[in-house]
Amino acid sequence: MLFGANGPNSFIWWDWVDRHRDLIKDATFEHLRLTLIAVVVGFLLSGLLSVIALRYRWTYAPITWVTGTLYTIPSLALFVLLVPWTGFTTLTAEIGLVSYTLLILIRNIVAGVDGVPAPLKEAADAMGYRPVRRFFEIDLRLATPAIVAGLRIATVTTIGLVTVTGLIGLGGYGGLIVDQGVNRNFFSTPIVVGATLSVAMAVVLDVGLAGVERLLTPWARRKVAS
Amino acid sequence: MQELSLELPQGGLTALVGPSGCGKTTTLKMINRLIEPTSGRIEVEGREVHEVATHELRRGIGYVIQQTGLFPHKTIAANIATVPSLLGWSKERIKERTSELVDLVGLDPELLRRYPAELSGGQQQRVGVARALAANPPILLMDEPYSAVDPIVRARLQDELVALQHRVHKTIVLVTHDIDEAIKLADYIAILNVGGVLEQFGPPADLLRSPANEFVASFLGRERALKRMALLRVADVDLVTGPVVEVGASVDEAQKVMAEQGVDWIGLRDGDRLLGWAWSHDLDGASELRNVTTEPFRAWVRPSTALREALDLIVDSSTRVAAVFDDDDRYLGILTINQIADGMAK
Repeated sequence: MLFGANGPNSFIWWDWVDRHRDLIKDATFEHLRLTLIAVVVGFLLSGLLSVIALRYRWTYAPITWVTGTLYTIPSLALFVLLVPWTGFTTLTAEIGLVSYTLLILIRNIVAGVDGVPAPLKEAADAMGYRPVRRFFEIDLRLATPAIVAGLRIATVTTIGLVTVTGLIGLGGYGGLIVDQGVNRNFFSTPIVVGATLSVAMAVVLDVGLAGVERLLTPWARRKVAS
Repeated sequence: MQELSLELPQGGLTALVGPSGCGKTTTLKMINRLIEPTSGRIEVEGREVHEVATHELRRGIGYVIQQTGLFPHKTIAANIATVPSLLGWSKERIKERTSELVDLVGLDPELLRRYPAELSGGQQQRVGVARALAANPPILLMDEPYSAVDPIVRARLQDELVALQHRVHKTIVLVTHDIDEAIKLADYIAILNVGGVLEQFGPPADLLRSPANEFVASFLGRERALKRMALLRVADVDLVTGPVVEVGASVDEAQKVMAEQGVDWIGLRDGDRLLGWAWSHDLDGASELRNVTTEPFRAWVRPSTALREALDLIVDSSTRVAAVFDDDDRYLGILTINQIADGMAK
């Protein structure tokens, strides 16, 4: 009966959906906005921390320890704990959301760069690459599949977590679920719509990033069986 | 590694050979400073390697490694252009140089747009050499370059390297654990023992003829004379006239020559043309040598032929000799097993 005809006990009231198109559209943009900010900022921050971890190996353990600890804090608790300091703002949401991307992204970037075969790095050195250029032209390019894999996990995870920020008055689809559904005696239609669209967004962005990976790694798909 | 003192001849191919743990790769990598020596001096082209910035030193030294070390994410063209790009060459200059190199190493220009994974092992190895030669460095370092390809391709690549070296005359340092590869390719061989001890240094033929010690002898392996025969050429030995007479000579004279040389066949020549040979019984009843039917020498060689190949032809021939002709097919003399043995003893 999930997507059945309208009725008093139906999960979905299509005329509600029809009447709240703008609300759903706004929630979609908001959800996307919160997700993209979190992933982009998280990626930049992770890039920076990864470079530090790669350059000064002793920092890798403390960096993963701190980001790992952040990762284990329940999201709901983190958002609520931040409210007295930063209020019901995007900043509050993003502090939490960005924090959760760090461990995944740093792990993948560092593992990706470490996974570049040593003989290739040595060959690059022997050709006369200087360290910075080698890092960008060789190490980072060859780590692309691992880095994009991290971005995909981080993105999908973030889309799920954004929903939780609905509890502090934000949250895109989370807002839809909390304000329109939970707070209205668990009216099921916005809950189902929010959850479904959230999943759909995750699928779309994941497939999109897989496409980006294909574009960035043309060498990987032209292998011939020999 | 212990102390090691070596002077590598300019424009020659020196092979560093030895068992694992002898420091041959370490020695190679000290030349382009992939490994830093704890003490001592290394000079390249008269300059101490530490006087030059590392990246500049390396851009002036070609480097070929096992499994080729090609960058999998770059096209063949981009791989070949690695050092020229680092040196900031213009696009046109890189393009021009790339097509020269493709020609030099025998690659299909179609492959330039492909990625390394799409090429066979042999093709990848050629790209590796082209990449190392791209900026025309005077020195080429090769670390076990053929260890990843099958024996047939390896033999072909080795031949190509010999032909290539004839054209480019680089100072090449080749690390290999395969003594036969070293014998085949090198002008000089340095045999290293565990800990970087230099056991012997010299041309392969010298090492094979007089190994300095038991270690070198056992490393060179069995059949040292045969291996040396592969290096020496027909031109290195003295030839004999053999049982060969002018076609204008009399039948009696021919029989006399056969008797003197203790053979039952006679070769006939017309000036510097060798006409062929005949069995002594073919001469029976003939009035003139000119009327005798001769057979061509099937075993014939050039001065540039390796003695080993000449020997192979000789033992397989009816007359047990090989006729020697120069490049214009003028007859130079006869090669016998005795001549080869004498030449080897020289």
